[in-house]
Amino acid sequence: MLPVRCFSCGKVIASGYEEFKARVEAGEDKGQVLNDLGYSRYCCRRMLLSHIEMVDVIAPYQ
Amino acid sequence: MDIDIIELSKGSAKFVLSGTNPAFANGIRRAMIADVPTLAIEYVNLYDNTSVLYDEQLGLRLALVPLTTDGDYVPQSDCDCGAVDGVGCPNCEVSLRLDVEGPKMVYSGDFISADPKVRPADEKIPIVELKEGQRVMLEAIAHVGYGRDHVRWQAGVACGYKHLPTVEVEPCPECGNVLVECPEHAVFMARSIENLTEKDELKCIKCGNVRHIFDLTDPSLKVTYDQHTFVFSLESDGSYSASELILKAADVIKGRAQEFSDILKDL
Ligand SMILES: [Zn+2]
Ligand SMILES: [Zn+2]
Ligand SMILES: [Zn+2]
Repeated sequence: MLPVRCFSCGKVIASGYEEFKARVEAGEDKGQVLNDLGYSRYCCRRMLLSHIEMVDVIAPYQ
Repeated sequence: MDIDIIELSKGSAKFVLSGTNPAFANGIRRAMIADVPTLAIEYVNLYDNTSVLYDEQLGLRLALVPLTTDGDYVPQSDCDCGAVDGVGCPNCEVSLRLDVEGPKMVYSGDFISADPKVRPADEKIPIVELKEGQRVMLEAIAHVGYGRDHVRWQAGVACGYKHLPTVEVEPCPECGNVLVECPEHAVFMARSIENLTEKDELKCIKCGNVRHIFDLTDPSLKVTYDQHTFVFSLESDGSYSASELILKAADVIKGRAQEFSDILKDL
């Protein structure tokens, strides 16, 4: 799960993750999507850009 | 002291504060980050958690969800009930319940709050993804606290200020040309002062690029900083609107000054 807030500045970023994921999968430019979501600082942008979703990997072993 | 608002929306603000000193500007900044009380989840009673997250991870995610805060609640340390071990009274705590069964994504909006005025400020924060047969059932207790104790209570995000830069451009006394380069386009590149298309001092990030192009003694461009004028920019995490946050920060400073003067009077 994506951290709820940015590590550096504390902005809530988790709420934009689903839109980010859907739009990037649809072929949109990542930088442009982040701009549209209002994540202007690079501390917040790296949170989404570098995230790897692990839920589906771990779920079978619960 | 004067305030000039450049941008004001629910979540963010940008304004120019003039006629004051750095100590006051920094006081406001720090008050917004650390001293404005907000509500956040501090205790969680877990009845069931078969999700992929450990109880502690789940607790952290819940704590970081900003809650809309109004002034009815007091910090436990100031409450008359004398809360012990985090168990307080209706004046100092709010309970939020969460009961979700998979397969489903659990959102902050799924909370059922005991007080309709206290809601997650953002309803679309994913808490945890539940697969078939997984369940989360818990009661979360929110308390009023301060940003200086933990991020969960930090209402101001990315609060900062800079001195107002003043950019003066004069053509070279020898050839009459002006050459300026700036990453923020505060001052566009121009061959002559008549062609200078824009001069926006608020945009200046003090990059100092001028220094690379010109030698320091070059008279064609001068960037100085007004020591008594500050360009503030800040965001709110959603527990208050940006303007409420600024006002509350000012109230905190006022309250402290009052307290100080009361102590002095009693001496
Ligand atoms: Zn950030
Ligand atoms: Zn109490
Ligand atoms: Zn010249």
